Amino acid sequence: MISFLILISIVVCFSAILALALNFQWGVGGMVNFGLAGLYALGAYACALLMLKAGMNTFFATIGAMVIVAVVCGVVAFVTLRVTEEDYFAIVTLGVGEMLRLVALNEDWLTKGALGLTGIPRPLGDLVPPEHYQYFMLGLSVALLLGTLWFLNAIARSPFGRVMRAVREDDVVAATLGKHVLWARVRIFAIGGAFIGLAGSLHAFYYQYIDPTQFSNIVIAYAFMAVIAGGRGAHRGTIWGAAVVMLLLEGSRFVKDLIPGIDSDQLAAIRIIIIGVGLIMLLIYKPQGFLREYRLQVDLK
Amino acid sequence: MLQTAFNGFVTGIIVTLPALAITLLFGVLKFPNFAVGAMMTLAAYLVFALNVQLGWPLVVATAVAAVAFGGFLIMVDYLTFKPLRERGSITLMVASLGLGFVLENIARLGYGNTARSFAIELARPFRFLDIRMNREQMIIIGVSTLAMVAMYVLLTRMPIGRAMRAVSDNPALALVRGIESPRIIRWTWFIAGMLLAIGGVLIGMDRALEPPMGSSYLIAVFAAAILGGLGSPLGAFVGALIIGIVSELSTLVIPPNYRIGIPLCVIALILVFRPQGLFGQPYIRK
Repeated sequence: MISFLILISIVVCFSAILALALNFQWGVGGMVNFGLAGLYALGAYACALLMLKAGMNTFFATIGAMVIVAVVCGVVAFVTLRVTEEDYFAIVTLGVGEMLRLVALNEDWLTKGALGLTGIPRPLGDLVPPEHYQYFMLGLSVALLLGTLWFLNAIARSPFGRVMRAVREDDVVAATLGKHVLWARVRIFAIGGAFIGLAGSLHAFYYQYIDPTQFSNIVIAYAFMAVIAGGRGAHRGTIWGAAVVMLLLEGSRFVKDLIPGIDSDQLAAIRIIIIGVGLIMLLIYKPQGFLREYRLQVDLK
Repeated sequence: MLQTAFNGFVTGIIVTLPALAITLLFGVLKFPNFAVGAMMTLAAYLVFALNVQLGWPLVVATAVAAVAFGGFLIMVDYLTFKPLRERGSITLMVASLGLGFVLENIARLGYGNTARSFAIELARPFRFLDIRMNREQMIIIGVSTLAMVAMYVLLTRMPIGRAMRAVSDNPALALVRGIESPRIIRWTWFIAGMLLAIGGVLIGMDRALEPPMGSSYLIAVFAAAILGGLGSPLGAFVGALIIGIVSELSTLVIPPNYRIGIPLCVIALILVFRPQGLFGQPYIRK
């Protein structure tokens, strides 16, 4: 039971990093990302392949994965937003995500297609004894989650964070005030992308095995759910949101024992239906989420 | 080559109906609806239930399901999009994404992941000018053409169609002229529902019925609508044909698995060179 809880906590950690990345792009920066699942897959595959094919160690592979996803995100934002509006941006991100998943599925020489990649090394895997490895992995994941939280918070509270919120609320006003809206958006999307890459790397380390089915649309559903529930723009809220959503997701595995005669496809379908309905209901009834976005407060006394 | 072009023409014809639905919905509601793929899936399974499980003829099943699905979408709109109408297009897009997950998985919950097909008898394909066409393709072309003509008449000759175009063009001005937008929105959903139901059946005839069937066309449908200019019905038709033919012809040079890359490239090119699409109004930012 303890080890089950530890494993769930690790999953919560890297899911929370993914949700934080989405919160940074969408919650703070106002840039919706429907290609999240594909970009997450890109992060995981990039990290795994940098180790398996290019022989990098885990540290540099993670950095490499973060850079690759950041560059892809930046290019997508630059090409799309140079000319058009957010509506089109959402469609393009959706298409890019699909394309990335197709590449993972079809380029057998690189990704082994539907078979997936096996034998992914873990950070310090040969130094830490296997019986204690899960504790180490939990510690590492928590540390990275806190690091991500600190870093994204620092950006959101910096002058650039104010530019981000200005661009989100009204890009024309931001442009009138002399802010370079396109460049700000490219940076927002790329920084978020780097953390999608980090989450993907942790995913690869944790499972040591990745295949395209792990990166289905449920990733998008739960990440949006986590961000909305936590309160758009509220980083700490996003972590709570991710934790609650993942516990519900993992917990719903036990529903199978409660309802007789239900197969795993149907169970998966029910989980996504619940998430989808929850998403819409949150948008309607609790659009601000449960925690507030950071506001600068000045003590006037 | 000619055969591939013909197959692409059929693919394009299939895409016309959902592309038209997307463009109508975008025109009136002002946000791209990501649930249309899943809507086609659900409607196709509804037809499957009537056709295979109840044994109705496919034509009757489709007609009944199209009307029922139009009504169903009015209800869905009332429950999901109506409360969010004033919240800006990003919120509505996210809601439509969530709705898409729900609808697709309702179909999966009912019928699982196995591929199914409608009860239609097999017929030998026949040849015409060296092009092999099977009967499903003929039906697809016939049905789509009929639906397009009906849409043309509706949008240009009938009061409700003209009102839809008026609301899509300028909601405030339409209101001044006494056009009630809630009524127009309901009609738009109803018509979009019928188009999507027929579109879903055509996809099911061309390939097979499985839960991702509709959403796998989503990028192509958006590409068609954007290429034609979002909000322009004629554009959606032309855009769909171009997308279908180009992506099918592309399989001669690139691996067929990457066929959906073509619509994506088309979207990127259109956004860079002609953001308003072929037939759309140039977008003026207010």
